[in-house]
Amino acid sequence: MMTITVPTAPTVSRPALGRTGTAAALLLPIALINAIGFILPVLNLLRMSFNEALAGGGVRETFTLANWTGLFGDSFYVELIINSITVSLSITIATLIVSYPIALYLHRSTGRWRTFLTVLVISPLLTSAVVRTYGWIALLADQGPIVSAIAALGIAPPRLMFNTTGVIIGLTEILMPYMILSLLAGFGRLDPRVEEAAMSLGAPPAKTFWRVILPLTLPGIALGCLLCFVLAVSSFITPKLLGGGRIFLLATEIYDQAIVTLNWPLAATLSMLVLIIFGAALAAYARVLRAIE
Amino acid sequence: MTMIKLRTLLGVSAIAFAASTPAMAQEKTVTLAAYSGIFQDHYMKAVVEPFMKANPNIKVQFYGMPNSAQMLGTLRAQKAAPQIDVMIMDVSVAKAATDEGLFDKVDESVSRNVADLYPNARIEGVGGVGVTFDNLVLLHNEDQVKTPPTSWNALWDKQYAGKVAVPAVPDIQGTTLTIIANKMAGGEDYKKSVEAGIEKLGELAPNVQTWDPKPDVYTPIANGQAALGIGWNARAQVYSDAEGSKLGVTLPKEGSGFQINTINLVKNAPASDAAKTFVDYALSPETQARFTEAMFYAPTNSKARDKISKEALARTAAGSMDQMIGIDWIAVAGIRDKITEQWRRRVIPLSR
Repeated sequence: MMTITVPTAPTVSRPALGRTGTAAALLLPIALINAIGFILPVLNLLRMSFNEALAGGGVRETFTLANWTGLFGDSFYVELIINSITVSLSITIATLIVSYPIALYLHRSTGRWRTFLTVLVISPLLTSAVVRTYGWIALLADQGPIVSAIAALGIAPPRLMFNTTGVIIGLTEILMPYMILSLLAGFGRLDPRVEEAAMSLGAPPAKTFWRVILPLTLPGIALGCLLCFVLAVSSFITPKLLGGGRIFLLATEIYDQAIVTLNWPLAATLSMLVLIIFGAALAAYARVLRAIE
Repeated sequence: MTMIKLRTLLGVSAIAFAASTPAMAQEKTVTLAAYSGIFQDHYMKAVVEPFMKANPNIKVQFYGMPNSAQMLGTLRAQKAAPQIDVMIMDVSVAKAATDEGLFDKVDESVSRNVADLYPNARIEGVGGVGVTFDNLVLLHNEDQVKTPPTSWNALWDKQYAGKVAVPAVPDIQGTTLTIIANKMAGGEDYKKSVEAGIEKLGELAPNVQTWDPKPDVYTPIANGQAALGIGWNARAQVYSDAEGSKLGVTLPKEGSGFQINTINLVKNAPASDAAKTFVDYALSPETQARFTEAMFYAPTNSKARDKISKEALARTAAGSMDQMIGIDWIAVAGIRDKITEQWRRRVIPLSR
């Protein structure tokens, strides 16, 4: 067996307590902000989810599991949860498929061209999702250019908006910059020399892609999918505007319960559920990363 | 800065502060929370500005919010130290706020005008009283629907398949349509069952383009994205008056249902006497008449009717009171969840 001497950090003659003290002091601001801005409100929501909603929007302080048991005992909500997850997964996959080639091309480009393309990819983030969604409404409307073009080909045009199709189209485009940036961040291990080696050893392009490029870019794919899935589950404006009230998703339902029906306990319960789904997504991401390593 | 300059500056501001104090003691500020958007525009002009002219020592600050639910949320958050004095909101939300102890009672001791209100403007269990009546109307795009429809049945007409915009429950426009459809289908008392109405709405579902028109129901119909829809009379009337508007408004022959906005006094609010003065002014026949002329809400004060022009009156429900279905919004609040459940399971899925 070979022995490797691990280089150790030069010993610092500062007392250990001082170092942990500095670390604690440095962590304190972010810990404080997180406690006030995130943990406290979440605990508040958790408490609210055990309150009782009265007819007409009142809230009675109590401790009941009714909101939680009601959620899983009601086929409408079970369907809504499943629907949210499947629609978000579809959006994630669609975003990955359209973003991957762009990210790969960007990764390989150099110099000014690369800067220009990167700016082009990021620029949609400068406009709000509301504006971009209204843009899609104009494009996908019944008298809009896309439907007219399909009709001109002699095909009965499908409805592209106010249904799941519209939500998937709109959110896919809105999430593309996040996916492309995540992919780029994860493409660090993709060395052009490895590709060249595969090709020079006689691998056809398709095989090079499946056996070399794709495995090396998996960390980026995992990161992009995690980010887009989380954003898709929590996005609310685009499904609200493009869903036409037909698509019941977790985020839109939380809005309706909190703002329209005034059932704050139910809205809080659904919000906690979203948090649990995010936790599950993070756990899945960690497993995928470990499997890749 | 030198010390002398600093001292002078401090001195000057101290004098300015001292000088401003007596004036401030006289002038009171009433914070009024109500709907933002065109409601705010018209209420400012027709009610708030004339009030401030008549009461120069009271300043009214209009705090606009998009809906009643958000107002209730704000009230809940400020319960310990209210910042809002007067709140105009939908009656069912006002009931919830009253139940939570957020409102004081508005009665004859606050305003003598309360005695002149229509009976359905005084709602059992609600702190405030009715300040405006509105009603559901049938909307159409004048390019796509040449003859103005006279019946709600136009919504069911197959020639408008995919062209109908209906704000679904839990929006109360959807609730009101349920009660109307229930009556049209020959259903019994809506408080007992809306089964017939739900069934009839199921037949409407395939015609519906959107159950959640944005930014509101008036816009897609005015610009032709949709041909028919349902909305509130006051807003529809204002939008239909806009230059080049294609929005047509009709009150169908089967009648309609009321929506009630109440005016409420917030409990423990800072400007209590000035707030009462404002509530009294808002309920007076003259103010009510002026706001009806401006925005076509029907007045809640029975003495306002004679002060409103025939033209304006004809464009409100006040012109056709006999066609109205009485909706007990407090009772509806109790069955709202059930109606929502029925829509989601038996109406909306039929439009997919």
